[in-house]
Amino acid sequence: MMESNKSDSWRARLSEYLDDELDPSERAELETHLDACAECRTALEQLRRVVARAARLVLADAPPAEDLWPGIADRIHERPARAGAPATARSRVPPRLALTIGAPQLAAAAVLLVVLSSGVAWQLGRGSLSATGPAETAALAPSGNTLPAARIATHRYESAIAQFERVLAEGRDRLDTATVRVVEQNLAIIDRAIDEARGALAVDPSNAYLNRHLADAMRRKLDLLRHTTFLTEL
Amino acid sequence: MRDREPPRERETLIEQAAVPDEDIDSRDAALAATGDAQAFERLYRRHVVRIHSLARRMAGSESADELTQDAFVRAWRKLHQFRGEAAFGSWLYRVAISVILAHRRRLAIHRARLAPEEWIREGTPSHEKRSEIGMDFEGAIERLPDRARRVFVLHDVEGYKHHEIARMMKITSGTSKSQLHRARMILRTAMA
Repeated sequence: MMESNKSDSWRARLSEYLDDELDPSERAELETHLDACAECRTALEQLRRVVARAARLVLADAPPAEDLWPGIADRIHERPARAGAPATARSRVPPRLALTIGAPQLAAAAVLLVVLSSGVAWQLGRGSLSATGPAETAALAPSGNTLPAARIATHRYESAIAQFERVLAEGRDRLDTATVRVVEQNLAIIDRAIDEARGALAVDPSNAYLNRHLADAMRRKLDLLRHTTFLTEL
Repeated sequence: MRDREPPRERETLIEQAAVPDEDIDSRDAALAATGDAQAFERLYRRHVVRIHSLARRMAGSESADELTQDAFVRAWRKLHQFRGEAAFGSWLYRVAISVILAHRRRLAIHRARLAPEEWIREGTPSHEKRSEIGMDFEGAIERLPDRARRVFVLHDVEGYKHHEIARMMKITSGTSKSQLHRARMILRTAMA
């Protein structure tokens, strides 16, 4: 058992031995062990072959299956190599300046949208008001008509989305292609969910679940775009 | 900037491979830095094989094309920082390694934040989706655990030392050594 443990211990250091990274005393001890351990000698020889094979890999370099230059050319033509060189496409607008809706307003738009969606559904479903409802809904409910407030929230939401999408389009080339792909895939899924919820609500506008689902999807889109826009500023 | 010097026993092999003319690279890099895309394309044509191979070995076949493009785009944007103290190929290599290492870290973080819900599904490139590549050596490298693969490629294929790898990957030299040994022990079965 002890011999097995000692063998395992030395085997774990075979790479250091191979790379000449052991101090002289450790090296001498390992070599004494190698004289007595066929298993470790075999492992050492196998590691030598791995290292030798790896060193020759550079000779097996192969080009990509497709010419990648067109994709690179598209991206570099939107951004000059140096700050002083003329831009060949649209000029770069600092993302922070491009957003005219501030963070607090965006947050308000998102919250208002969610609350109104749940409030509208609740009001239509119950047919009466209750003091236990959300404060924002209660504040709107006495007028008996939440539609103007809902329109305002929707307008703010859509303005925010449009602003984020513009900033994202301008900063897109600062993201790596894998991130862009993930974002586009998720946006497509969320947009489908929004379209489906809106389609269903056109038939059943008082459905509380659908209203909440729509508001939830819209909030997720807002969050996704906000986070992705932030990434372009890194 | 210090040039990375490959181990002596590998220099002969590299000399036998196609090595870009460093003077031509420097001239094209200078032209590209002024916005000359054709000069940059010439640099691309001369270096894409090495960069793509590096990306493929470190990050897998599925990500290699994207990472290669990202590396060249990053190099284009940072051309003004290339002063010519090192060979352009060496400088480009370091840019590519930086892009590749950052990619894995960023992708893991972003996927957790961009697609947190069960009803949002993403096409996740994974080892399971790779096509059959058999038990060849490069295929075996691609199947290594991520960290072990990156250390192995940087050390045994590219010739970096453990302290350099540790700095690039933000790990300790001890971790670099243990991951290298882990990779080699797994790969020895592919050589059997």
